[in-house]
Amino acid sequence: MAFRELNPKMVEATVAPGQRLFSQRGAMLAYRGEVSFTPDLRGGQGGVMSMIGRRVANEDTPLMTVEGSGTVLFGYGGHHVQVIQLAGDTLYVEADRLLAFEGTLEQGTVFLGAQGGVMGMVRGQVSGQGLFTTSLKGHGAVAVMAHGGVIEIPVTPQRPVHVDPQAYVAHHGEVRNKLSTALGWRDMVGRGSGEAFQLELSGSGAVYVQASEEKL
Amino acid sequence: MFRLQGSKVLAVDMTGDAVKAKNGSMVAYDGQMAFKKMSGGGEGLRGMVTRRLTGEQMTVMEVKGHGTCWFADRASEINLVGLQGDKLYVESSNFLAADAGLRTGTEFTGLRGASQGNGLFTTTVEGHGQAAIMSDGPAVVLRVSARYPLTVDPGAYVAHQGNLRQSFQSGVTFRTLLGEGGGEAFQIRFEGDGLVYVQPSERNTIAGDV
Repeated sequence: MAFRELNPKMVEATVAPGQRLFSQRGAMLAYRGEVSFTPDLRGGQGGVMSMIGRRVANEDTPLMTVEGSGTVLFGYGGHHVQVIQLAGDTLYVEADRLLAFEGTLEQGTVFLGAQGGVMGMVRGQVSGQGLFTTSLKGHGAVAVMAHGGVIEIPVTPQRPVHVDPQAYVAHHGEVRNKLSTALGWRDMVGRGSGEAFQLELSGSGAVYVQASEEKL
Repeated sequence: MFRLQGSKVLAVDMTGDAVKAKNGSMVAYDGQMAFKKMSGGGEGLRGMVTRRLTGEQMTVMEVKGHGTCWFADRASEINLVGLQGDKLYVESSNFLAADAGLRTGTEFTGLRGASQGNGLFTTTVEGHGQAAIMSDGPAVVLRVSARYPLTVDPGAYVAHQGNLRQSFQSGVTFRTLLGEGGGEAFQIRFEGDGLVYVQPSERNTIAGDV
């Protein structure tokens, strides 16, 4: 485990030679030992093409590479931090919610339109995710930021979960999501319950939900 | 069935029953749920008139269905309150959810309300069941008994329940008028028997400025 939660808002990461970490630029709070921070112009992994991809997709949150040997403290903006352990599966998360992740994970950019076509794009707009989102795949740990605490809700084939798009943080596993609307005549006349759009997640995996409807 | 998941998320398990919750506070659910807007300040025509007159703008929705529904609002701390026939007075901005069987209404608070920066009216919840209230930071529950009256800062007051009389206290002296006040010019004093919920944070009130 590369990340240790010190308190709900700070994580301590251990870096050893040969083990890289990526973190959001400016998220380092303190470090011990011989650690170097290099701005990652490519904004993560992959070649030049994936860099262009991220630029176009506006998922190019500036990252830095953390190398050396020692321990580093990460925290950002007083946001709550949740460490998610990945064991071979894929985590989908918005790039600006990424605090830090292990270099063993493979970073990619996903076009939301690929998941559910036009509705996928609409969904991205409604949840404020935009048209693209970041995926992390492999074995390792990720530290994700959220406003307020995060709860993990398991998604099983028998139990699809509906999430408020503004409170959605991330999900992993074999999860399909689609935007479901509960728009009725009440919303048209301004008497809606404030829950007109929901993300419906089905399949098997888990979804992370924050205790707030505020974006980061 | 209300339970807390962490301190900021309320999980409600429902089997066909309903809960009232603050508009838009649902963060996730599984199973089948239906959301319908209700209006605060009491039901029916009388409630509607009261709302218009009082400006206590609490918009509430009714959530009904089978499954688990999770509620949270702007990362506020959540406190569960059990009601056994008594009445809970809570600021509408601090109300999160209540069993549908509980009656909600609006009541006049007088000068106290104005000093809290919340208007002249407050929300009441009455009956048998559970309610969830929000506070900025974890709230403390202070017991008031006949021998121990309690005085609280209007900005830190969240809710109270039980048989309590409240009076408005002012510590305004000539120093306050000169701009040398201690920032605690107004207080609410509770006497009787009951519980008062106080948050570790103060809203902006007129009283806090003088």
